[in-house]
Amino acid sequence: MLALGTLAFATPWMLALLLSLPVIYFLLRLMPPAPKLIRFPAIRLLLGLEPEEQTPVRLPWWLLLLRMLLVTILILALARPLLNPQSELPGSGPLVLAIDDGWAAAPNWSIMQRHAERLTERAERAKRPVVIVTTAPAALDEAKPQRGLLRPDEARAVLRALKPKPWPVDRAAAANEVGRLTIPKPAHVVWLSDGLESPDTARFGERLAALGTVEVVSPASSRAPMVLMPPSLAGRELHVTARRPSGDGPRRIAVQGTDDRGALLARGFIDFSPTATEGTGTLNVPTEIRNRIVRLDIEGHTSAGATALLDERYRRRPVGILGEKQTANGQPLLQEVFFLERALEPYAQLTIGDAATVLNRQTAVLLVPDGASPGPAERDSVIEWMKKGGVVVRFAGPRLAASADDDFVPVKLRLGDRALGGVMSWGSPASIAEFAPGSPFYGLRVPEDARITQQVLAEPGPDVSDKTWARLADGTPLVTAEKRGEGWLVLIHTTANTSWSNIAISGLFVDMLQRLVALSRGVAGDAGGQTALKPWKTLDGFARLVQPPLGTLPLPLDQASSVVPRPQSPPGLYGDESSQVAFNLGNHVPAPAPIASLPSGATTDTLTEAGETDLTKWFLTVALCLLLLDLLISLWLRGMLPSARGLTRRATPAALLLALVAGVVVMTADRAAQAATELEEKQLAQSTLDRRPPPPPRQTPADPADEMILRATLETRLAYIVTGNAEVDNISRAGLDGLGEILRARTSVEPGDPIAVDIEKDELRLFPLLYWPVTSEQATPSVKAMAAIDRYLKTGGIIFFDTRDQHITLGRGGLNADLKRLLRGIDVPPLVAMPSEHVLTKAFYLLSDTPGRWSGGRLWIEAGGGRINDGVATIIIGANDFAGAWAVDRAGRGTLPVSPGGEAQRELAFRFGVNLVMYALTGNYKDDGVHLNDIMQRLRR
Amino acid sequence: MVRPDEPTALRQANILAGALPPLLVAAQRVASTVLQGVHGRRRVGQGDAFWQFRQYRQGDSINRIDWRQSAKGRAVYVRETEWEAAASVWLWRDGSPSMAFTSGRGVPLKRERAEVILLALATLLVDAGERVALLGGDRPITGHAAPRRLAEGIATDAMVRPHDSLPPLLPLPSHGHLVMIGDLLDPLAKIEEIVRGYASQGVRGHLLQVLDPAEEDLPYDGHVRFSGLEKEGDHLIRRVEAVREAYGGRLRAQKDGLAQLASSVGWTWRAHRTDRPPETALLSLYIAMADVGARPVRWGA
Repeated sequence: MLALGTLAFATPWMLALLLSLPVIYFLLRLMPPAPKLIRFPAIRLLLGLEPEEQTPVRLPWWLLLLRMLLVTILILALARPLLNPQSELPGSGPLVLAIDDGWAAAPNWSIMQRHAERLTERAERAKRPVVIVTTAPAALDEAKPQRGLLRPDEARAVLRALKPKPWPVDRAAAANEVGRLTIPKPAHVVWLSDGLESPDTARFGERLAALGTVEVVSPASSRAPMVLMPPSLAGRELHVTARRPSGDGPRRIAVQGTDDRGALLARGFIDFSPTATEGTGTLNVPTEIRNRIVRLDIEGHTSAGATALLDERYRRRPVGILGEKQTANGQPLLQEVFFLERALEPYAQLTIGDAATVLNRQTAVLLVPDGASPGPAERDSVIEWMKKGGVVVRFAGPRLAASADDDFVPVKLRLGDRALGGVMSWGSPASIAEFAPGSPFYGLRVPEDARITQQVLAEPGPDVSDKTWARLADGTPLVTAEKRGEGWLVLIHTTANTSWSNIAISGLFVDMLQRLVALSRGVAGDAGGQTALKPWKTLDGFARLVQPPLGTLPLPLDQASSVVPRPQSPPGLYGDESSQVAFNLGNHVPAPAPIASLPSGATTDTLTEAGETDLTKWFLTVALCLLLLDLLISLWLRGMLPSARGLTRRATPAALLLALVAGVVVMTADRAAQAATELEEKQLAQSTLDRRPPPPPRQTPADPADEMILRATLETRLAYIVTGNAEVDNISRAGLDGLGEILRARTSVEPGDPIAVDIEKDELRLFPLLYWPVTSEQATPSVKAMAAIDRYLKTGGIIFFDTRDQHITLGRGGLNADLKRLLRGIDVPPLVAMPSEHVLTKAFYLLSDTPGRWSGGRLWIEAGGGRINDGVATIIIGANDFAGAWAVDRAGRGTLPVSPGGEAQRELAFRFGVNLVMYALTGNYKDDGVHLNDIMQRLRR
Repeated sequence: MVRPDEPTALRQANILAGALPPLLVAAQRVASTVLQGVHGRRRVGQGDAFWQFRQYRQGDSINRIDWRQSAKGRAVYVRETEWEAAASVWLWRDGSPSMAFTSGRGVPLKRERAEVILLALATLLVDAGERVALLGGDRPITGHAAPRRLAEGIATDAMVRPHDSLPPLLPLPSHGHLVMIGDLLDPLAKIEEIVRGYASQGVRGHLLQVLDPAEEDLPYDGHVRFSGLEKEGDHLIRRVEAVREAYGGRLRAQKDGLAQLASSVGWTWRAHRTDRPPETALLSLYIAMADVGARPVRWGA
């Protein structure tokens, strides 16, 4: 290995090839580039023009330089250049890689793998075998990695196949395995550790030290593995706790909750105080959203330990309502059940029925409206259920007020009820006081218009105040509650419907009920009498939920807390599709702690991304690029890149690369300028019917826009506006085709094929005349297009509108609605019916009528005198479907019938078309000619 | 840069199918443009000009009786036209492979251009009442079908030695016209032999040299291997730009030689570049023919 600062060469003897560069230099210099081959008829005149005995043509120096560079880079690539080379491995025996592949390794897994691969590469260069020892038990569905001495390439394959496991390492077993290794000594041992203490770590370290020199590589403290404990529920909040191995400064980590499809629902933070190894935080999310959270993860720490799966205990809150569902008497608004159902339906799973029905199901909260107070028989079962952790919410009402000795209430009640603001009372309906901080309703906003008109009153007593969760403005309790056994008994001192208050129809009611439901414990999946749950989905090392591997054991429910995650029972969800129990890693492993004792004499290192980089492939890539460039240049020198010749004819060789880049820019600008010039010329030419010879064709390939301009200007062309109606457009095209044929045959106007013009996109100014069939489908032109049309008309263009509806439009007054729409926004000059002696009737043929497919009607043209354009009308409007008459097929026969005049009328239509084109091209010239006599007379005078 | 020659069979098929050959269409278009330019020109050599009336004799065709004149008197008159042999024009174009050359987009093959001019000229001549024929082909004919016949003749190679760069020396009647259209790049001596041969038969001739712009300008650069189109072999030139001057000199010498040769025998010589419109060449050729017709011919020894 040859090191030059940060660059080194693994096979430096290849650099000796650089000595051959001068030879290559001379060879390249002597080889002339191949000549271009050109076939040339006038070769007779060339023969003998240049004597053969000239000095041989040399390669241009820049090409020579390029090729030398190419060869140099190739040789350097062969020498295997390395960036940031690392020193050779100590020792002489094999390299032993001890890898912690338990759950704690997962967050740093890719770095660890790369680190291991780099070590393998170094071993490969030193031609030393590799031994790989993993400390975590292998997964059930995984082949045990190859043990013993491996060739480096085998080792690399093993490393690539290695994955972190979702369970802790077992260093005791690993120590035994190391003890059984029989390898030549002294070896060099690198222990890629996860940084966590575990039983028998010391013994493992000693066994490693017995093999030879030991290097312990552990993750940086900022990357140390962390554990997320299963969260606890406190009302609406999820309390989350995380642990880290050592209290090394303040730290804040983010916890995110996602749903079963991986969408992020909640995000909270856990703060570690500087020395603490445990930190807590809360996730405060609305209940209905919280219920969708299926897992919590520490952000940026992908491991089974940093993930807590939430099972149904955190989510499902079935609510039972005593009473009858939607009775048939047709007055739901009087039913208490109706209000409760409507308030809770979106958030909880509801069961309505009598106590037996409701309690038979899984129920977390039982709502008891006044009208459905359980009878004595049922009451016992309800109380029993409540004491096991149920929440009973009772609502007051006339029946409760009337019962003297109902003791199924949190506080003792006075007999009778209290009416506020009734006809016979001086008071007014009471509002609700703000909720006190200790109340579960604390923080809810009390609507100002919530009023209680009637309530049951608590008998004053010492404990009433403690039991009160909500009060009226006058201090009397509105909600009282008492903890009974594991559960709660809650009494709302008014009714669940609107007979005693209006809170049942306020948002507050919904919020209060939700808080009460959140109070309850979740209902765990029904084990159905099973003692063990089948694995349903388990976590892999990267905390992904996957199908459990074959051989995974069921989770015993009674000893669930003592099970340690291992290959047979990985963390995950156990149960079946309907209900699962989460088995999390966090609360089944000891709290993480840093490794206490390292083997004596061990050197330490931290896992790093950076390492030596093999630059060979980059050098080869550059060489390949240069080779391609050389190929291009060679092709160019041989004249096989046609367009490059004219472009770089005058470019000096040194500017070649620059020219290649800049050429594109220059070429575009140049072409734009040419096009503009040509455009002006064309406009000038068109006003006087110029038949100048076509400009010499240019060699550069044009882009589409220029192509259009060239197409439009190299020949005189008739143009029509695209309406979007394919049929009309086809007829326009065929019509102008037919008219063009006639023009070529009879006049000196030789138009090219007609061009379709899109008023929104295309340049109008290229055309002397636009044929515009009016359709109702065509969209009104945009403002930009309007401006373009206006400019076109004001700079000498002529638009011939054809409403194609015979004389309906123009004969009886009133403009065609579509024409009006299309012309809106254009400065239309006043129009008059075409006078019978107008130039249009004598521009080529003498015409008395202007028929198209139909005859009759008149043409409307810009009123005489013409503001611009030398008195030539800019707008001509006809209605006889002219293109329809001009449209002919290949054999020269008309495509569409012409009425009433038949072919004679078609001929007249053609003559009108000829006149129209002549008018567009020659303006009023013919008018002047007709007045020649007058002019002559005037001149003579 | 060299277009493959269009298969003769395909062109024959086109003609046999009855469609107007595009060549002929182009030629007619060119001809009609030029004709408009020379509109009103005095026509030469009509064969149907009125000469005299004479009395009807036995054996005259009834068709020839001029009824109007006869109605004026008692005798029956026959209208006699001036007997004048229409000039016959033999047309020839270079069909050698070197004519199948174009230097780039938009520039037609030299041969294509030569044929267009040939047919357009034929159209004009026929219009003026002359007889036209391909050199070495059928007898001179007139009438509006003549250009079409010529087009067919060209397409079916009905010329003598249709692929040579110079025409053979054939016996032609004196006072005939010969039009040679080609690149005329052969050695001057060979051209002179042919030209003088025809001139000595009393034939008036017109040379039209059709050259591609690349042949005029030699617009190449650098190291180039030139390869002839008629098996002249290759020629390697290291720096074309260095020989451009010399090439131009040689080309000028060739042209000057042709011009001198033509004037020495009373013929005309015109040059034409294929990137220019054919109308100009046609017009100048046509007018030159008229001039030749008007001028007393003094052809050299």
